[in-house]
Amino acid sequence: MNHEDDLARRGEARLAEHARECDECAAAPLAFETIARSLAAYAVPLDVAELSRRVARHLQPELARLASVWFWRRLGRVIFAALLPLPLILLLDAYVLGVFYAWASTVLPAALATYLVISYAASQLLLFAATYAAIPLLLARDAWFRGLTTAEALP
Amino acid sequence: MATDEELVGRLARGEESALAELLRRHERSLSSFLYRRTGGRDVEDLYQETWVRVLRHARDFDTSRRFSTWLYQIALNLARDWHRRPPPEAHETDAAAAESPELARAEAGLDAARLLERLPEAQRDVVILRFYHDLSEEQVAEILDCPKGTVKSRLHHALARLSQLAGKEKV
Repeated sequence: MNHEDDLARRGEARLAEHARECDECAAAPLAFETIARSLAAYAVPLDVAELSRRVARHLQPELARLASVWFWRRLGRVIFAALLPLPLILLLDAYVLGVFYAWASTVLPAALATYLVISYAASQLLLFAATYAAIPLLLARDAWFRGLTTAEALP
Repeated sequence: MATDEELVGRLARGEESALAELLRRHERSLSSFLYRRTGGRDVEDLYQETWVRVLRHARDFDTSRRFSTWLYQIALNLARDWHRRPPPEAHETDAAAAESPELARAEAGLDAARLLERLPEAQRDVVILRFYHDLSEEQVAEILDCPKGTVKSRLHHALARLSQLAGKEKV
């Protein structure tokens, strides 16, 4: 069965389905088969795949713009969320360092206790900086991977 | 597998893979709808413009709605605007190519196109959506933004007219 026959058969079934529910159609029987055959002959001679390729090419700059907007918006949200607990963490750290310095200066020379506290604080700061710097890098990596799968999916 | 509605959400974020998948799923039905709705004129432009609008409004898409209904609504609005433009001048057919099977098939298609063209716009929309795209009367009503009863009534009048025309032209 070719596409036209199939379309005519299914179309006729749909028209018949309408006729069963429509009192007016039932009262004046209509030539569904003829109508279905006539309509089914209306083929569409289009190269649909080429049309879609053209659309994908045309929309690529706009998609890139949207992806960029989405990336920066997401980055802003994530950094904001990550910065929220930072003051509390810094306060807690400062308190712990103060307690540690008070204890260390009683058992160690003051210079050594200061050195320990400062080197601990410096390594903490470095760790924080690395953590926050990783956020945009991780998001960019995610977007980059998505871009790779996208390039393969494009028509 | 992602639903159409999820894909629209991803499309709004600029994901090209979402566009590729939506195109793959709807390219055939959308292009044939536009072709039959306009009689084959400016289909490429309308097809492209439909997707441009889909992308432009993807962020505002209500995911509780069906994507295909929304897509047909956009295409239908564009086709209606297009319909207000003047038609191109008719060209004479090449007599040398007469009597080929391709021509016979093309003529049968042309007859169907003529049949549809003789219907009022509102009835033509119902026939195209119901006959060629297998959409339910509820879906057609949603696309055309009218009650289901109106769809039934338009379909009845369209069928009566088509029956009359088909009998007259013996297509």
